[in-house]
Amino acid sequence: MKRLALEGAVFARSTYLQYVALFQWATPQGYVAYKVLLPITQILFFVELGVYATGRQNALYFALGNALQLTANAGIFGVIATVANERQYGTLPILLASPANRLVTFFSRTVVNVIDGIATVIVGLAITVLLFGLNLQHANLLLLALCVVVISLTTAGLGLMFGSIGLVMRDAIIIANIVYYALLIVCGINFPVSRLPGALQLVSYGLPLTRGVQAARDAAAGASLGQVGGLLAGELLVGLTWALGGYLLFRLLENWARRGGLQEAY
Amino acid sequence: MRSLARAAFSAFRVSVRLRFISPWSYLNWLVFPVMFAAVGLYVLSRPGAASSHIVYGLLGGGLIGYWSVAYLDGGNGIQDERWSGTLEQIFATPTPLWVIVLGKICGGLLFGLLAFLPTAALAYFGFHAVLPGLDAGRFAISLGVLTLSFFCIALTLTPLFALWRWVFSMLNGFELGVYVLSGFMFPVAVLAPWAQGVAGALSPTWAVRALYASTLTEGPHDFAAWWLAAVGLSLAYLGGAYFLYALVGQRARISGQLALV
Repeated sequence: MKRLALEGAVFARSTYLQYVALFQWATPQGYVAYKVLLPITQILFFVELGVYATGRQNALYFALGNALQLTANAGIFGVIATVANERQYGTLPILLASPANRLVTFFSRTVVNVIDGIATVIVGLAITVLLFGLNLQHANLLLLALCVVVISLTTAGLGLMFGSIGLVMRDAIIIANIVYYALLIVCGINFPVSRLPGALQLVSYGLPLTRGVQAARDAAAGASLGQVGGLLAGELLVGLTWALGGYLLFRLLENWARRGGLQEAY
Repeated sequence: MRSLARAAFSAFRVSVRLRFISPWSYLNWLVFPVMFAAVGLYVLSRPGAASSHIVYGLLGGGLIGYWSVAYLDGGNGIQDERWSGTLEQIFATPTPLWVIVLGKICGGLLFGLLAFLPTAALAYFGFHAVLPGLDAGRFAISLGVLTLSFFCIALTLTPLFALWRWVFSMLNGFELGVYVLSGFMFPVAVLAPWAQGVAGALSPTWAVRALYASTLTEGPHDFAAWWLAAVGLSLAYLGGAYFLYALVGQRARISGQLALV
C-alpha cells in the first residue's frame, strides 16, 4: 500500500514537472500560435479544399474530421516533445539515472497531453460550430465526448511509442511531424479509408483515430453507444497496444542509449 | 561587387551543404509536400473531377513544400547563426549582413524547388495526373516570379524572426492559413470576399494564380497583371526589409542583445 502511494506520488510529481518544464507552448504567444491559430487554419484549409473538390454540402465531413484529428496535436507532438525536450534541455541523463519506476515515469508523460488534446478538440469543435454551422442538435453529445476522450488517450498511446525513439534520436520531433501528417492521410479524416490501397487500409486500422473518428462521426449523427461500442473498444485496444509497445521500446532503447552514451548526444 | 558575389556564393554553398545533411531539410522538401499532395490528390481526384482540380493536387503539394522551405529555412537565416554561435562572426565581417542572408536564402530556395519532383512523381504514378494545357513559357515565368516572391518574403522575414521571436511561432501556427490565402491547393475565389481582399495583399497569391493559369486552357489569363502585382508587392516587402535590417544591425552592434539565445 505504501509502495503504491509512493508510486502515485512519483506519477503526480512527474506529471506536474513535465507540464511546467516541457510544455514549450505554455506561453501566451505559444498558446495562441499552436493551440488557437493552428487548429483554426488546419480546419479552414481542409474544409475549403473539400468544399472546392466536393461542394459546400460536404463541409461538415471535413470540419468534423479535422477537429477530431487535432487530438493528435497534443497526443503526438506533445508526448514526443516531452521526451525530445528532455534531451534538448540536458535532463535526459538525469532522468535515466534516477531510480524512479519507469512505467510510472513513462505513462505520466501522457496525462497533461490527454487533457490538452481534449481541450484542443473542444476548440476545434467550437470553430466548426461557429464557422461551418455544425448542427449538434441530433448528436449524442455524451457519446461524442466519450469518443473525444478515447481518441485523446489512443493518440497519446501512439505518441508514447514514437516518443521512445527520442531516447536515441536527436531530432525526434521530426518523427512527430511525419506521424501527425500521416494520420491525416490514412485515418479517414478527409476521405474514406476505403479509397486507400489495400495495404494502407490495413495500416489505417492498426492506427488510432480511424475507428475513433468513425465513432465520433456516428455519434454526431445521433448514434447510440451500442452502435459504436465496437469501434470504441477497437480504438482503445489499438491505443493500448501502441502504448505498451512504446513502453517495451522505451526499456529497450534506454539500455541502448545508456550503453552508447546516446542520451547525451545533442 | 565581385567580393560581394563571392561572399554570397560562399553562403549559398555552405547553406546547401548544411541542408544536404539536415533531416529537417528533407522533411520540408520531401516528406511534407508528398503528404499534403497525397491528401490533396485523394480529395481532388474523385471520379469525374474536373482537370483543374487535379492540377491543384499535382502542383499544390510542391507549392506547400516550396513555401515551407522558403519561410522556415530562409526566414531563420539569422536565427540559425544565433543558435550555432556564429552570429558575432557574421556581424564582424566587412560583408553586409544582407549579402550573406541572400546567399543562404538562395540555397534554401534551391532545395525548395526540389519539392515539385516527389509530388509530381506521386501525382503521375499514383494518380495518373498530368498538366493538361501546360504553357511551358508562361509556366516558367510564373515559377520565376513565384521564386522572386518567396525570396523577398524570406529576406523580409529573416530580420523579423531575429528581432521578435514570437513572430516565428505565430507564422508557424498560421502556416496552413498561408496555404489558404495564397491559393496553393484551391483557388482563392472560393474564399469569402474579405479573405480574398487579405489574400490580394500577398505576393504569392498572384504568382500562384499565374502558375495555375499557365497549366489550364479555361479561365482568365491576365498574366501580365498578375506578374506585375506579384513583383510589385515583393518589392514593397523588400522596402520594409531595408529598415528591419538596419534595426537588426543596431541591436547587434549597439545594444549587443541579438546574440542572446
